[in-house]
Amino acid sequence: MTEKPTIEQYLKNIEAHDFQPFKCLDCGTIIAPPSGTCYSCGGNKMEWARVSGKGTLVSFTVIHVAPDAFQEEIPYIIAIVDLEEGTRVTGRLQGFDPLKPEEIGLGIPVVLDYEAGKSGRTYLSFRPER
Amino acid sequence: MPLKNTQIVSGAQTKFGNLEGITLREMFAEAVDKATVDVDIPKKDVQAVFVGTFVPEMLVHQGHTAPLLVDYAGLRGLPATRHEAACASGATALRSAIMAIESDIYDTVLVAAAEKMTSVSTNQATEALAAAADDEFESSMGLTFPGVFAIAAVAHMQKFGTTEEDMARVAVKAHKNAATNPLAQFQKEITMEKAMTPRFIAWPLKLFDCSPISDGAAAMVLTSKEKAKEYTDTPVSVVGTGQASASMNLCDRTELTSFEASVAASRAAYKMAGLGPEDMDFAVVHDCFTIAEIIASEDIGFFEPGEGAKAVRDGVTALDGDRPINPMGGLKAVGHPVGATGVKQAVVVYRELIGDAGANQVAKHDTGIMHNFGGTGASCVVSIFRRADA
Repeated sequence: MTEKPTIEQYLKNIEAHDFQPFKCLDCGTIIAPPSGTCYSCGGNKMEWARVSGKGTLVSFTVIHVAPDAFQEEIPYIIAIVDLEEGTRVTGRLQGFDPLKPEEIGLGIPVVLDYEAGKSGRTYLSFRPER
Repeated sequence: MPLKNTQIVSGAQTKFGNLEGITLREMFAEAVDKATVDVDIPKKDVQAVFVGTFVPEMLVHQGHTAPLLVDYAGLRGLPATRHEAACASGATALRSAIMAIESDIYDTVLVAAAEKMTSVSTNQATEALAAAADDEFESSMGLTFPGVFAIAAVAHMQKFGTTEEDMARVAVKAHKNAATNPLAQFQKEITMEKAMTPRFIAWPLKLFDCSPISDGAAAMVLTSKEKAKEYTDTPVSVVGTGQASASMNLCDRTELTSFEASVAASRAAYKMAGLGPEDMDFAVVHDCFTIAEIIASEDIGFFEPGEGAKAVRDGVTALDGDRPINPMGGLKAVGHPVGATGVKQAVVVYRELIGDAGANQVAKHDTGIMHNFGGTGASCVVSIFRRADA
């Protein structure tokens, strides 16, 4: 596939449960969410890449007060995850009780999943690796 | 090289809070009057206006605010430009004013900023604030503004052992200082127990970890060193200023326990001033959330990374401590009308430096620093002021 990756297609891929990061053609750095410029080498030519879906939980929060679009979903967990391919992404976190955040340990292995929100959107999401 | 020519000759703010019945332009004009005619600075001396507002489009359905606000404040005809950098809008307006005077384009300019936020519901205000984060990649997932700082807090707690109690102590200190500040939104002290009330906004941040939704305005007059003595006997020199940007997305940052734009902007300001953190008598930092004050105190070099919470615990940052931070109550207790905050912070530093802070006066007040950052920390402006006779 030689098409130039776009943000629109990146978001559509998530909707289709087919997450694909950008990859710098010059140095191979995996980039997600998309950037117009590679943050490793400054290159601006990108292609699509695949990921294993394995990552590590870096930090998280539980949202209790949210804009109207997310009212029916609160409380929900937002997590920062390092993917094993070396890029860091933001997503939802499933598999935990949002009212027991103390049970969520930083550094735990997680795997990529998707979540259909009541907002009508599909979120990039993660769940603990069993 | 230190800046040579810019001096502050007045600075004022309106009361912050729920200013029911007062619109954006009215509060703006009130702040302008307090910083000009009320202190015998004629409006006709002002040559340009640098305006700060954040999202009046979403909050009061009004864009193109600079000419509108300036006209209502009796300054029709002057060059007027709006500056927007989320919560750092005010400080970017101030920085442009500083650069205009240093470049000799103008002698005397006005910096004025305002935000009207209580005209919408809390959810709508949360949504407006979320516009300061990356809409395509983070806000659209439901990450809120408090959520961003909650993620930083969780990382800071994990890495350095900072606790929810440490964050609560920042709130208690802010309220204690604001109790004697008649312009503050919350003029009352709170107990640790109250600060720890488990009413979560974005876990682990609770209601009392968050700055409120506020209305308010602030203004100041800057002029050249030569003209300053026409207006005041106690001018304050702007000796350094720095600005930096960072990624909007939290996930594009390698560090979650420090804000790189704060580090870069403060180092640039210190370098320009030829001064270091040890030369600062006090600081006014951007405590939109309690954890933000702890991290900012580390990022501007007042304390080593991870030592910010201990400084609060030991009273070092209290009004009567060795390194006072937010001596008049900060965003947390004085209020946070987003676009106005950066100018208000400069007004606080100015008033402390000239000995005009009343019950909130810090003991040593030759040199002070202000740190104003925007959104997820993607913009930061740091400026250093010094009393001209110090």
